[in-house]
Amino acid sequence: MARSKTTLPVWLRRVSQSAFLLLFLYFFLQAVYHPINQAGRGVDFFFQLDPLVLLTSWLASHKIAAGLSLSLLTLVVTLLAGRWFCGWVCPFGTLHHLISSWRSSRVKDKLTTGGYSRWQKSKYYVLFALLVACVLGLNLSGWFDPISFFYRSMATIVYPMTNDAVKSVFTWIYQTDPGVGPLKVTAVSEPAYEVLRRNFLAASQPHFYGMTLLVLFFSAVLFLNLYRARFWCRYVCPLGALLGVAGKNPLVQIKQNQEVCNDCRLCVADCQGGANPDSPGGWKPSECVYCWNCHSACPHHGIVFSVYVPGGKK
Amino acid sequence: MAECSRRRFLHTCAMAGAALKLGPLALEAATAPGPALSIAHFRTSPQAPEAIAEEAQRLTQEAINGLGGMGHFINRGDVVWIKPNIGWNRRPEQAATTNPDVVAALVSMCYAAGAKRVIVSDNSCNAAPPSFAHSGIQQAAQKAGADCFILDEGRFRKTPMQGKVLQSWEVYGDVLGVNKLINVPIVKHHSLCKATLGMKNLMGVVGGERNRFHQDLSNTVVDLASFIKPTLVVMDAVRVLTANGPVGGNLADVQRKDTVAAGTDQVAVDAFGATLLGLKPQDVGYIAEANTRKLGTMAFETLKPRRIEL
Amino acid sequence: MIVAALLRWIKHFFQPPPAAKIDLKRRGLIVGGIAGVSTALLVRSSALGEGRTFSPELIRPPGSIAEDDFLAKCMRCGECMKVCPTNAVQPALDEGGIAGLWTPVLKMRMGYCDYECTLCSQVCPTQAIQRMPLEEKQKVKIGLAFFDRNRCLPYASARTCIVCEEHCPTPKKAIWFEEVQVMTPEYKLTTVKQPHVNPELCTGCGICENKCPVADMRGVYITSVGETRHPKNQILLDSYAGYGN
Repeated sequence: MARSKTTLPVWLRRVSQSAFLLLFLYFFLQAVYHPINQAGRGVDFFFQLDPLVLLTSWLASHKIAAGLSLSLLTLVVTLLAGRWFCGWVCPFGTLHHLISSWRSSRVKDKLTTGGYSRWQKSKYYVLFALLVACVLGLNLSGWFDPISFFYRSMATIVYPMTNDAVKSVFTWIYQTDPGVGPLKVTAVSEPAYEVLRRNFLAASQPHFYGMTLLVLFFSAVLFLNLYRARFWCRYVCPLGALLGVAGKNPLVQIKQNQEVCNDCRLCVADCQGGANPDSPGGWKPSECVYCWNCHSACPHHGIVFSVYVPGGKK
Repeated sequence: MAECSRRRFLHTCAMAGAALKLGPLALEAATAPGPALSIAHFRTSPQAPEAIAEEAQRLTQEAINGLGGMGHFINRGDVVWIKPNIGWNRRPEQAATTNPDVVAALVSMCYAAGAKRVIVSDNSCNAAPPSFAHSGIQQAAQKAGADCFILDEGRFRKTPMQGKVLQSWEVYGDVLGVNKLINVPIVKHHSLCKATLGMKNLMGVVGGERNRFHQDLSNTVVDLASFIKPTLVVMDAVRVLTANGPVGGNLADVQRKDTVAAGTDQVAVDAFGATLLGLKPQDVGYIAEANTRKLGTMAFETLKPRRIEL
Repeated sequence: MIVAALLRWIKHFFQPPPAAKIDLKRRGLIVGGIAGVSTALLVRSSALGEGRTFSPELIRPPGSIAEDDFLAKCMRCGECMKVCPTNAVQPALDEGGIAGLWTPVLKMRMGYCDYECTLCSQVCPTQAIQRMPLEEKQKVKIGLAFFDRNRCLPYASARTCIVCEEHCPTPKKAIWFEEVQVMTPEYKLTTVKQPHVNPELCTGCGICENKCPVADMRGVYITSVGETRHPKNQILLDSYAGYGN
């Protein structure tokens, strides 16, 4: 079956997703003790970018958390250009995107798992329920906010498990001391372990209560990507919903060339957001995450995104 | 290479299992050519931080020289473990941890005597990264060129000790493979044993559930000291903690004694340290017990200590 | 020209073409609204709501604001859990009620609140845990220690211990001793130091509970009473009223 070529915008998007994911992991690792009594710099950067955090904490506590004003930038960019944050920045989205790419690659299956579903409206109801509760003083958005969800899962599940696995391997090498004659594996593994200890590993293995529930939700959410592409982003994410509302009328819109379109629907098969890229006049800007997969998938170069004011000449 | 012999040593231990009767650590014994105890004291008590640092360094150097110099204890190619008190997340002025300049001076002297590798570490009671940094020891040791690292929880090995109370205990793996161990305690008040000094400081080379030791502190500490038998004990008494030890916190509890003592008889050094807090050596349970077991002598004056006044 | 474009843009924002509409169903919004309202009201009327009573296990990091406000601000993000150098900060299950799920709670058997540390307050993205200078944090109480005399060794089995007092970080120790003559299993008399907490000095840091050798259920443990952030959750008559939000 035709495999999507990776065009320039898709490459740029992948670079951006990788960069922001790496940045997220960097800030995550920075959240440790630094001499003396200092946490690392910028560790809450992604929360600062997240307008859901600002909105919900303001609604629930009637106070504006000053440090979160960077998220207004995200809102303005989304208002003007659409949900680029979801497609290019959000590290949780990147994770879902990665796992979604492991779903069945038959185009027929992809049309089912990747096509638009009206169930995508559920995330707006989730957002609405959360906001209503916030107005009454109860802020449960942290359970559903993607940055919180990802950070919490990293801190209580992924990092402790990874730390334990890496330490166990190096400890096993140290204790069994394998090698050929005077050439010992430890001559290489010990310095490597030291580098890992200084920069990535925890000084003391972290342990957490209540991992069962956390693991259940995290793995469920990840596995559901095999059932529907970017399941979380489409059906649950209240930040996606908020940005979907803000990005209802973007200046960057899809342009479909009807003359070359033969309804092969390859663009729909690769669509990450479930935004109907094949449908003339039916494209859903609030679902589009600007992944440019449709642009890449179309064998006739029939899809492109360009800037123009909606309601003007098409 | 010491690296290989350490691995081989540990491998042998692992193979032999619990049946192997390990006596005291295979630390090479050292005898001082001169007196077994040397006490250096500063007549003045400078207040400026740089002056105190310089005082600490000079006192350490003079105390070691009083024993005949570091060259008599450290040989070329030695792997040395310098074991200060890095137990607590406190700053040096609070006298809960060993003076970093004393540690740095010892590191330099070991390298000057030809040591191949000098390790500075401790099994902290508070979280290790803050304790290592806040005490100033990590920075001072690293600046002097030492290998200062935080202990790896997975590297304690259950080691037979054949003590009166401790049959075996978890000792830090790397400690089992060094040639020389220099114990560098600080003199502090302690509610249970009245004073925490050198022998009790050795609790920092073991792991496991150390919080059980206190049910029979005199015997457990002396079992430990009999097993480890450090090459040298260098006692930091530049500042001492006179009350609310061993953690302290109140600067009013810190007194300047401007003294550093060094010796090969760990009981004698501890006995001297106890007197700095106004105690009689026999009042400290583990000193009396160690004396009874003839691990050393608490009548330190009989050793004719060399006193150096600066 | 630009103004016309802007007006067109605004018009389309509020009246998008049919296919681009989000098109939420009124029924869905009503269900969502009811869900939101009822959850909020349920939490308010629960036992822990509106400060009606306090959960002894709900020991929050120092700098945490009062509970109702805390639940309004906390994102359950886990930054504090990641940064805590002793691994004391854990995700709550039922300690703070359903609404408190995954909010930070200190479990002293896992770690303790280091006297010289304010890292959690530095990383909290919404300042549900408020940043403060170290000297101020050292005056904040997050709870108080209590001895379980059935388990604490000098009380229960005539053994010496005092590991708790050894580790107590307050400049004047918050644990003091009573020297008591007790009977040993051999029916001899011996003197042990029996520890007591001074609730005026104790900050509830938990290092005593953490280091207590009675491993499974500690001989000394922390509960939330005495916490600075809740003027009503107090023992002492002259306890201070807590810092402002």
